[in-house]
Amino acid sequence: MKIINPSPKMNRRSFVKKVLNGTIAGSLYLVWPMGSESLEIPEQIPGIRGREYDIHNQEFAFIVDITRCIGCGSCCVADKREYNVPDGNFRTWVERYVKGFSDEVYVDCPNGGLDGYQHPRKDITEKVRDTFFVPKLCNMCREAPCVQVCPVGATFKSPDGFVLVDEKRCVGCAYCIQACPYSARFLHPVKKVAQKCTWCYHRIRKGLLPACVQVCPTGARKFGSMKDETSEVYKILKGPGVLTVLKKEMGTFPSLYYEGARREVI
Amino acid sequence: MDLSYRMRLLIVLISIGVLAGGGLVVKRLLIPDSFGVYGPYRADAIVEAALVPIRHGTNASCFKCHPYEANIHKNGRHHTISCEFCHGTYADHVKNGKKTGTLPVKKGKEITTLCLRCHNTEIKARKEKVIKTVAMPDHLKDQNVKITHNCNQCHHVHAPLKYIIRAKQITGLMEAGS
Repeated sequence: MKIINPSPKMNRRSFVKKVLNGTIAGSLYLVWPMGSESLEIPEQIPGIRGREYDIHNQEFAFIVDITRCIGCGSCCVADKREYNVPDGNFRTWVERYVKGFSDEVYVDCPNGGLDGYQHPRKDITEKVRDTFFVPKLCNMCREAPCVQVCPVGATFKSPDGFVLVDEKRCVGCAYCIQACPYSARFLHPVKKVAQKCTWCYHRIRKGLLPACVQVCPTGARKFGSMKDETSEVYKILKGPGVLTVLKKEMGTFPSLYYEGARREVI
Repeated sequence: MDLSYRMRLLIVLISIGVLAGGGLVVKRLLIPDSFGVYGPYRADAIVEAALVPIRHGTNASCFKCHPYEANIHKNGRHHTISCEFCHGTYADHVKNGKKTGTLPVKKGKEITTLCLRCHNTEIKARKEKVIKTVAMPDHLKDQNVKITHNCNQCHHVHAPLKYIIRAKQITGLMEAGS
């Protein structure tokens, strides 16, 4: 026998959910007009300011163009300043890959790239075939391993696609730090909570680009909304260019894409 | 104690009720208000993440009060460079429209170090189409200047070719206006 629900979209559970969603969306709506200073800055991501932020209808993408990265470390400096990241921990960092003719790959990252790369590597004896820089940050996985392992629900994936950390709930067990295949997380030495790159969620919600994208002098880092068909990232993702993600075989489905990444990049 | 069967049953039922009720109250107290709105996490954490104060402005926020530098910076080759990378963050300088601190201006050898962060040819990963690089001190020798020169003695830091182009125009190597 078939049971027909007279109103399949409005049973009690979904009704309660909807009401609660409405309340939260309303409170989120109050977020953007705060900070009168930020509103004086021209909007960088169109379609965020001056309207209700529909948390269920957002999609963002981050693209790193390795062929344009010059390893200046502006992004690392900006990131450290934006969040006062403690020394020795990095929300984003730039790695240097050196490939020799023997196919040996040498990777180094002195101080996370904070001081830039002033000198070439001296310890490589063989002839160098290729050198390139790879900026790393949170991959904002669609199937995030860190979210799965968190025992207290402190790490979560928000409806607009960001993997965030609830610092009030985090107990600092560091399970997520081990789970992240990209080593994007660290334990804050003072607060004793897990922290990581949020793609500058607070800036995005005010219509500004993430700090690292904002300071990148060569445009190696690109960020934008996938709901906006005029955005650079939408055009790149729609286009024929080869985009790769890190550790695809892990099945994490990152929303961070790399353009021009060599096979050696992991 | 000698209680009747009904009395014992009542005590058992009441204790179950008290325990269950107490458990529910404790559960209610332990679970945060917005927990479970979108999923098994506190939905208010999203609001908190969005409310983190921003520390970096944009170049536009600096240009508002520094029109002279803005004019040079915007028209130079360095127009893609963020002011805040060399000078420090907006939040350290301005708060609620009032100046709260002085940002450092790089001087002397610091400038050369800063320039070579991007423009050093020795790092073989910098492509011609992305950035113009120089080898030091070869560049100084090629240009017949003292080896102790800093970059900013020839290149304006905000518009590196400003003086070079002007000098070429004066010496007739380049037509004015080109």
